[in-house]
Amino acid sequence: MSVPSPLEATLRVIGLSHHKAPVALRERLAFRAEDISKALSGILAHGFHEAVILSTCNRVEVYSVAGEGGDAAARLRGYLSEYHGVPEHEFAPALYDHKGADAIRHLFEVASSLDSQILGETEILAQAKDAYRVSVECGACGPTLRSVFERAFFISKEVRADGGIGRSQASVSSAAVGLAKKLFELENRKVLVVGTGEMATGIVRALKSAGVAEIWVASRTEERAQEFAKREGGNPCHMRHLEEYLTKVDIVLVSSAAPHFIIGPKEILAVAQKRRNRTLCLIDISVPRNVDPAVHKLDDTFLYDIDDLEGVARDGKMERETVAAHWLPKLAEAAREQMRVLHGSEPRETAKKLLEHAEAARAEIAREHSRGMDAKSAEALCRALERLQGKLLHGPLDTLKQSAREGGGADASAWVSRLFRLQMETGAESAAAESEMQSPAARSAPPDDPPKRTLDDRAPKAVPENPPPRGEASGGDVAFAGN
Amino acid sequence: MTQDILAYGALASFILGAVAAIAGFRYEAFKRPGWQFVLAGLGALLKTAAIGEACKSGATHFFNSVSDIYGLMAWALALSYLLALFISRARSLGGLALPAVAALMALSIVSDKTQTQMATPPALFATHIICAFLGYGLFLTACSASVLYLEQNRLLKRKTFGMLFQDLPSLERLEWLEILCSRLGLLIFTVALATGIEMAAKSSGVNWLDWKILSTVVTWLVFFLLVTGRALRWINGRTAAKCVLAGAALVLITFMLGHPAEKKTAAGRIPGYRFRDRRVA
Repeated sequence: MSVPSPLEATLRVIGLSHHKAPVALRERLAFRAEDISKALSGILAHGFHEAVILSTCNRVEVYSVAGEGGDAAARLRGYLSEYHGVPEHEFAPALYDHKGADAIRHLFEVASSLDSQILGETEILAQAKDAYRVSVECGACGPTLRSVFERAFFISKEVRADGGIGRSQASVSSAAVGLAKKLFELENRKVLVVGTGEMATGIVRALKSAGVAEIWVASRTEERAQEFAKREGGNPCHMRHLEEYLTKVDIVLVSSAAPHFIIGPKEILAVAQKRRNRTLCLIDISVPRNVDPAVHKLDDTFLYDIDDLEGVARDGKMERETVAAHWLPKLAEAAREQMRVLHGSEPRETAKKLLEHAEAARAEIAREHSRGMDAKSAEALCRALERLQGKLLHGPLDTLKQSAREGGGADASAWVSRLFRLQMETGAESAAAESEMQSPAARSAPPDDPPKRTLDDRAPKAVPENPPPRGEASGGDVAFAGN
Repeated sequence: MTQDILAYGALASFILGAVAAIAGFRYEAFKRPGWQFVLAGLGALLKTAAIGEACKSGATHFFNSVSDIYGLMAWALALSYLLALFISRARSLGGLALPAVAALMALSIVSDKTQTQMATPPALFATHIICAFLGYGLFLTACSASVLYLEQNRLLKRKTFGMLFQDLPSLERLEWLEILCSRLGLLIFTVALATGIEMAAKSSGVNWLDWKILSTVVTWLVFFLLVTGRALRWINGRTAAKCVLAGAALVLITFMLGHPAEKKTAAGRIPGYRFRDRRVA
């Protein structure tokens, strides 16, 4: 009888993207950058061992490694619903849920921009790296997601370097500029950029290269606007004077993190007379949106949000199909390969845990029974227990070693874990292995009831530039060949 | 005979140009404006040669047959289009203008060539005819730009970013083209109007209530108000584009009901002109 590999069942991505969810829905489920640590903590508290939240203007995704048992997808859906206050039935039809190799393949596609609105856009890779960094810093990223994400970043570079995708180096910013160009010649235009985020930086650079005459940068805090304007060569202005600048400019690019509408029909109508009905183009690439969609109904006013940018990229669909035909099978194979790598590391991890488990039990028995014994007898007891442990574990360890060499390591690991009731630990737990060794009772909890943990228990970790190879990361005295 | 060959050559060029312009919406190979420019340019050149040949042959006194009028209209529209294409590189303009030019050229070939010759053809008449037709051509080019403006505006409002959207120039460029053609057209049409009135005054006096004079003056007024309103920023965007369409409709009324119909009714009805019928061989 074959036991399903724990990773196949526990590694998953659940989320929604521009493919099925309109921006109006995505904005309701988007995570604010400053809240992601808190959200990760919440996810771990719901019985997940690892988690990465990727929240961009085009997608909201949670990559996770769940504890065994229970319906992890339902827990995640419930968490999203609870966190954002959006009833589950409203977003459930737009959700996708990939497990195991499918989840890895999905991440590879996302990081390579093959799943993006605009093929070849570069921002998604930076956003995925940010999401990964935040998770690692919070201690929410364990060895599984670390390995998968590092591989995704590597593969995305490979995809971009080949296959024609690099030729259409389009980003959300350049698509926004392309759309503006359908209204205006950008030379000598005046532009107001609202928001000083990373996206705004891209827009300002694209606009400058398109030849706009003046750029004003508005932000809620004057210092930020000044710093941004100094860095990117614009003029700072304050949000308080938005109306004044709306009178002057031809294009307004909104990319701020405000959770509400900043510009609505009222603001536009207030300046319409002063503008003498000149055409005004508003491009709102923020999620949640910051410009009221009703603005688009006004005469001489055009508003485009993030969903509208897809159509701007010329021949995007044809190119997507060509590139997809070339790369998608390769990415699927790479995902399966990555899954095999993850499986290959399982016997080693399981053996390590088995040894730790046995040593903790031995230490506990030795401590209990050596009370009142002289040193010589205590040492003899310890040696006897060590021999017993060695004899008992020889079989399982040998089986794991053999299975790792010959394939089927995942099955063997699953069986051994189940027989010995070994908890599937994460990297964060490995880091705390020392302390756990002191409390073996904690590890004897049944695997069907994963412990609830929060990020507060964890010490922040730095992102490793070059994570150590899997064999070294696991440490311990178990070294397998043929993984 | 040479005149006919040149006319057929011009028609072929205009048809090919129109095909290239329409194919440009779909096929990458035809997206460059060079195709249209060369073909329309060749057509205009051949038509100019045909006009020159007609003048040289002396078979016609000046161009007032139905055939001539359609031919002159095609020629003027082609020249206006070439000018607009050269200035703005708005390739998609050809999709509207060149089929119209080809249709006018075809009408010119198949329609009645009976000439109504003026007894005493003044130099003023030549100026009047050339300016009138160039004015019409420029107004119709402005109209084409307005149609494209309204279409691009519609696509932008509906957020339909298809092939047509990608092919059409920016709203600003289309508006600029429309303004330029309207202004140039108004200038030239003013000369045509002034010379026409002058001619009429010199012969039998101006009848201001004559429908042709009236429609010409109204057309001039519409474009004058449009150009002035634009300059003073009273109107712009869609409203202005719709006004250009209204003006172009008046141009068509003046042209269609005025010149070609003239021969069908009474030769002497054009105010101030005294004609004598002569069949052109």
